[in-house]
Amino acid sequence: MEASSSTPEFDYLFKLLLIGDSGVGKSSLLLSFTSDAFEDLSPTIGVDFKVKHVTLGGKKLKLAIWDTAGQERFRTLTSSYYRGAQGIIMVYDVTRRDTFTNLSDIWAKEIDLYSTNQDCIKMLVGNKVDKESDRVVSKKEGIDFAREYGCLFIECSAKTRVNVEQCFEELVLKILDTPSLLAEGSAGVRKNIFKQKPPETDASTSGCC
Amino acid sequence: MSSSMLTPTHKYAAGALFGLALHQAQIHQTCPLGFPDPSPAEERSSSCSSNDSVSDDPQLWAHQSSDLLRPIFKCLEIDDKAWSGLEETAASTPPKHHVGAFLRLLSEESNDDSSEAAEMELALANGVDAMASSMERTSDYESKKEKSREYKNECQEKLSIADVKSKADVEGTNVENQEKSEKPSSIAGAHLKSVSGSDEKPVEEVSMLGYTRKVTILHELLSACLAQAPETGKKPTRRRKGYDARHRVALRLLATWLNVRWIKVEAIETMVACSAMALLKEEESKEESQSPDTSWAKWKRGGIIGAAALTGGTLMAITGGLAAPAIAAGFGALAPTLGTLIPVIGASGFAAVATAAGSVAGSVAVAASFGAAGAGLTGTKMARRTGDVDEFEFKAIGENHNQGRLAVQILISGLVFEEEDFVRPWEVQHDNSERYILQWESKNLIAVSTAIQDWLTSRIAMELMKQGAMMTVLHGLLTALAWPAALLTITDFIDSTWSIAVDRSDKAGVLLAEVLKKGLQGHRPVTLVGFSLGARVIFKCLQVLAESENNSGLVERVVLLGAPIAIKDMNWEAARKVVAGRFVNAYSTNDWMLGVAFRASLLTQGLAGIQPVEIPGVENVDVTEFIEGHSTYLWATQDILELLELDTYYPVFGYRAAKT
Repeated sequence: MEASSSTPEFDYLFKLLLIGDSGVGKSSLLLSFTSDAFEDLSPTIGVDFKVKHVTLGGKKLKLAIWDTAGQERFRTLTSSYYRGAQGIIMVYDVTRRDTFTNLSDIWAKEIDLYSTNQDCIKMLVGNKVDKESDRVVSKKEGIDFAREYGCLFIECSAKTRVNVEQCFEELVLKILDTPSLLAEGSAGVRKNIFKQKPPETDASTSGCC
Repeated sequence: MSSSMLTPTHKYAAGALFGLALHQAQIHQTCPLGFPDPSPAEERSSSCSSNDSVSDDPQLWAHQSSDLLRPIFKCLEIDDKAWSGLEETAASTPPKHHVGAFLRLLSEESNDDSSEAAEMELALANGVDAMASSMERTSDYESKKEKSREYKNECQEKLSIADVKSKADVEGTNVENQEKSEKPSSIAGAHLKSVSGSDEKPVEEVSMLGYTRKVTILHELLSACLAQAPETGKKPTRRRKGYDARHRVALRLLATWLNVRWIKVEAIETMVACSAMALLKEEESKEESQSPDTSWAKWKRGGIIGAAALTGGTLMAITGGLAAPAIAAGFGALAPTLGTLIPVIGASGFAAVATAAGSVAGSVAVAASFGAAGAGLTGTKMARRTGDVDEFEFKAIGENHNQGRLAVQILISGLVFEEEDFVRPWEVQHDNSERYILQWESKNLIAVSTAIQDWLTSRIAMELMKQGAMMTVLHGLLTALAWPAALLTITDFIDSTWSIAVDRSDKAGVLLAEVLKKGLQGHRPVTLVGFSLGARVIFKCLQVLAESENNSGLVERVVLLGAPIAIKDMNWEAARKVVAGRFVNAYSTNDWMLGVAFRASLLTQGLAGIQPVEIPGVENVDVTEFIEGHSTYLWATQDILELLELDTYYPVFGYRAAKT
């Protein structure tokens, strides 16, 4: 409905993707961001999708966030969600080292393989900092990783909501700073194939007979 | 509950694929597969994928309010937390990448009790194969062909003077026959091109998927489509009972993706329907022994009779009394079908099918789908008292009645010299759906057809034809030039009968829409085919259906041949929208007879029967080479329909039509 109105309810639409091992808290992070809530979640099946509207840098933004399942059996699936994403959030659990090492072993490779956006902004997120006593991955390690792979870095807790907003904000601001991504997400590109007739039909009618 | 052959992960993937197919099917409504995209494909699809989210657009079939996907997910027992993700995925384009990924997911073996499941899958696939081969063209096809040739000759004899080339007819038929034998090859070529030309043909993943698994997936999805979603208790949903045309179109696309022949899906349809009916019947008899009187009540409650029986007193006067015996007969007639089914697929195969179908039988939607049909359509005789239309009656043709077929075809003649012309044009066509012809207003149609014929044989017309003036006339019509005076006066002769017939066809169209809305076809997807004024009936019907919002799941495919319908100001877009699948307009550029009869004031607005309709999603097919005069449709319809290959998902003539 609103889609066809002349003033869209947002200036830009960005597609964001959450990836990382099973149980690192991707869904919790998303839930915390979109509805200020924290609860025990069962493993995600396939992919989940949420929309959040935010205003940042004076722009009205619509964030379409895809939350993928970390479970091995859905691995084949997630690959097709990389395309077209302007931002990719890699999440690990600071209390589980394997989730961190898997980032370089698996996830970073997946991004290289499947992402279609050269300029796509990547972000590394260490989750569950509320469990400081169980921490096994230090902040320094995270920073080093981020530097090596050229991505943003933040540590947060979905449970206490520490740094959750900031995580998404930082990513989005960086996207806003990247002209090529900005052009893709611009509301002007928006087209609805079901409402918009192909422009050339009229011309061809008169042309053929 | 019966154990399913698919793991939850498989079901998830199957649901996702179905969603993708459903969404693509909606896109293909306005942008058929194989047609060159108006805008560069890559640009269009990428802008779609990143910008639209399903939840914003209630018009989408994938949107929750269409109620097309969620019941399926529910039936597949997919966790409801995954639904929104699936819906969004369905709408993200291009689908190719997702389709590949989900196929890969489906091809993965489940580790637990896989041998048992594999056995069941195999049994099911064997059953489907057996069923399909029993449904394939039977040997009497040749004899039917012969019959159609006879009919053609009869017609030509009867109308010989009419045809411009009447003298050359004898040689003409030979030539035509030769032509015909060559034709399939060129069309086969068009096929290949349209498939390889589109990016639709998904990926190598299809080959990873075993045939048995594919059949199982289609079976599972079909069952889900037929099952009635358990009552949620909330406000009545928009979705109708029964088998939604849009679901069938999505399945058709999915079968194309999976590279499974459509007849297999039809076999699955029949099997699911039959076994669900059998289970239901069993339950019925169990209950009957306890309280014999309640069965009727139960049927009614279960919606088996559906709208059909309960609309008495309204437009379609069908009483419970009329419907009930017919339904009972329907149950009875099924028994032999099942009887023949079991030996073909073997008892174990049947057991597998029955188990699989067991999950569906909990709902009565399947039964509702065709329990009412026999009574519904053939029981629809228009009473004279409605005044507008004197005759409106469905007659069953073909052998597929009470065989548990889950699709219906309604065939409408529009140029009729004798009553049998309502039936004979349609007799030969091979199709696995339940087929009905609509006999309507024969008096008026015969009158107008005869008037046209008489005029054609009149001296002036003959004279004009001899001078080859008719093509000029047709040209003149289209360019709104002045007519030869002689022609003008003569056509008055036709005009009065013609305008009555046009009026009646519009009214018959309204009635047809009523019938479909009431679900008298048994809540099954309908394919409408009609020529001449019959095509007008169909178009009018679509227009009526388009007026209210939730009629888009009724009609699956439409074929209009030589249609006397203006192109401008007729809102073809709306009519296109209520047809879930293919919408074919077959026209003949030299059908000047239609032009003359139709002329009125309308010719500047175009005429669908003699030129293409440039509406996105309408498949225009030039059949000029088949049509010598308007009355040729009587016997050429058969051949044209065969060439159209309605069971193919994509427009067979796509490339050719688009190029010319």
